[in-house]
Amino acid sequence: MAASHSDAGPETTTDSEDAVSLRDVRKTYYLGEPVHALDGVSLSIHRGSYTAVMGPSGSGKSTLLNLIGCLDTASEGQVFVNGKEVSALSERDRTRVRGDEIGFVFQTFNLMPKLTAAENVALPLVFQGVSRSKRKSHAESVLDEVGLGDRTGHRPNELSGGQRQRVAIARALVTDPAIILADEPTGNLDSETGRQIMGLFQRLHDEGNTILMVTHERHIAEHAERVIHVLDGTIERIEEIESPRRVEIEAF
Amino acid sequence: MEFLESVRLSWRAIRSHKLRSVLTTLGIIIGVGAVITFVTLGASLQADILGQVGAERTPNVYVWSGPEGQNAGPGAGAQPVFTERDLTELRNVAGVSAVVPRGIVPTAAVSSGGDTVAQRQVIATSPASFDSATFVSGRAFEQGEREVVLNEQAARLFESQATVGDEVTLRLASGESADAEVVGLLNSSSGGGPFEGFDSQPLVFVPTDPFYDTTIESPATGETQRVYPTVTVVANDFGAVAEVQESVRAYLADESDAASLAPGDYEFSVRTDQDLVDQLEELLDTLTNFVTGIAVISLVVGSIGIANIMLVSVTERTREIGIMKAVGAQNRDVLQLFLLEAVMLGVLGAVAGTPVGVLGAYAAAEYIGLSLVFPLEWFAIAVGVGVLVGVLAGLYPAWNAARTDPIDALRYE
Ligand SMILES: Nc1ncnc2c1ncn2[C@@H]1O[C@H](COP(=O)(O)OP(=O)(O)OP(=O)(O)O)[C@@H](O)[C@H]1O
Ligand SMILES: [Mg+2]
Repeated sequence: MAASHSDAGPETTTDSEDAVSLRDVRKTYYLGEPVHALDGVSLSIHRGSYTAVMGPSGSGKSTLLNLIGCLDTASEGQVFVNGKEVSALSERDRTRVRGDEIGFVFQTFNLMPKLTAAENVALPLVFQGVSRSKRKSHAESVLDEVGLGDRTGHRPNELSGGQRQRVAIARALVTDPAIILADEPTGNLDSETGRQIMGLFQRLHDEGNTILMVTHERHIAEHAERVIHVLDGTIERIEEIESPRRVEIEAF
Repeated sequence: MEFLESVRLSWRAIRSHKLRSVLTTLGIIIGVGAVITFVTLGASLQADILGQVGAERTPNVYVWSGPEGQNAGPGAGAQPVFTERDLTELRNVAGVSAVVPRGIVPTAAVSSGGDTVAQRQVIATSPASFDSATFVSGRAFEQGEREVVLNEQAARLFESQATVGDEVTLRLASGESADAEVVGLLNSSSGGGPFEGFDSQPLVFVPTDPFYDTTIESPATGETQRVYPTVTVVANDFGAVAEVQESVRAYLADESDAASLAPGDYEFSVRTDQDLVDQLEELLDTLTNFVTGIAVISLVVGSIGIANIMLVSVTERTREIGIMKAVGAQNRDVLQLFLLEAVMLGVLGAVAGTPVGVLGAYAAAEYIGLSLVFPLEWFAIAVGVGVLVGVLAGLYPAWNAARTDPIDALRYE
């Protein structure tokens, strides 16, 4: 863990067991009258845990994920990622956290349309300065893991929705991040492909990664150890899943 | 991010919008090409004209009287004001080796061997105006003899090529005719000096006596004398030129017949060879700069094209910028990508524009009949400006792209 703030006061320190922790976080958009997308959220996510976030549309799930993913900053309160307070970081360091410590799977994939699957997956490595040949072999092996070993040269528009989703997941995994954030990773998938993605997440969780996943679907959420129910920008309740669903591990 | 990787990604972005990139580059190609064409033509023209003027300077001082404030060529607007008495006085000035008068005898035509060609004027001068080295054959005419000297261009006017010994008949503007013998042919490259202009036109020279009959009563002596519009004063050597120029000026200013004969608003021009060359050079420089200026404007237009395309490109790829930043691209990576793209378009345009410009200059020079002189330093300048234009035009859009907030960029539709 680099760059910790040694001068931070007691209320800004965080349990080193926590991969992510939020202290009374608010995110307000001012469009005429203020919209409280998040309205006082406090939360701790332990290292190596598997958490799902549920809630109705517009309740603030994506906003929460974006704050944790260092894509956005809170209006009030503090967000800690791997012990670092995000709003105290320089833009440069925030970008570094985003690139090195977090893997983000977007609801809308967000793939580069003109790059091939392998190039898309390798993109985060480009900005880390990894050499071309290493990038290529690494990206191909991750694509292989998500079952797309035979589609490395395809562009996003030459792939099915589920395949694109898997490319997006592969890109999130390629930097080997400690924290994986996924916004509706199965939203666009048929139940079989969704099951396969859950299998992949289960393996990542078993390997010790921290996973935070937004979903609409109860049966998807039940793969996690914990479900956070969000309503109108606040945490309504936190539900512990006694025995999370398991997927029969199989190759794609 | 590695520089080479940036180059690769930027190059891809350029290639994925082929038509747009080509059109953008075209602006720079035309700009750089135009600058190179015009600058090359300017340099070639300058070299050509100054070459005709002659690499070797003569210790001559050219004297004429023309309308005040007019900065035209030698002899422009000259009135016949220099009397024989003035010539004699000028010959006595210290450092002067010869004084050569020059007058115009208006003619209608010149005939030789039964062939008549139109010729508006012949030039009356003294034998001292010829340099023996410039004769292809024959010699200078002698004063008081019915003899003419032609340059090769004039000799070629006649079907049977006038040669030394031929008889020619000058049909004067007054309607009279005068016969004379051709005694000398001047080579085609020796022009008639600055008063005749430097282009190679046919020239016919005759001795002032007996052909030149413009006369006036000398205010100083009261005698009726020949009077000339232009005079060449030859100094003993180059060292004497400046002094002779001063003395000639001083003489003309007060004692001369010319001073009293010249119209009130006329002034004397007393120019050395070098003065004339300098003036010509200055004129050509002005011309070249003017045309180059126009070409530079097209470069600027080209740069606005690049800036415009880059701005469109940034807007269009807002989402891609968002994605790159979301997966760890630093501001400077994005800046580098977009700046490189602009620079590559600039370099591409400059590199492609150079041969286009050279080709343009070549075609134009061929058409005009100039031999090309390449001002290589200008090539470097044109290419440099092309690249600079790329950087400047790309700077703002690239900076804009780099500043884009990732979350806003990802939301951009
Ligand atoms: N950029 C923005 N400007 C203004 N309001 C915003 C902006 N982004 C989100 N909001 C508002 O914040 C609230 C929470 O949005 P958010 O995207 O977090 O919802 P969500 O829970 O992810 O919904 P869904 O399940 O539909 O994806 C919404 O009411 C939305 O209108
Ligand atoms: Mg959402």
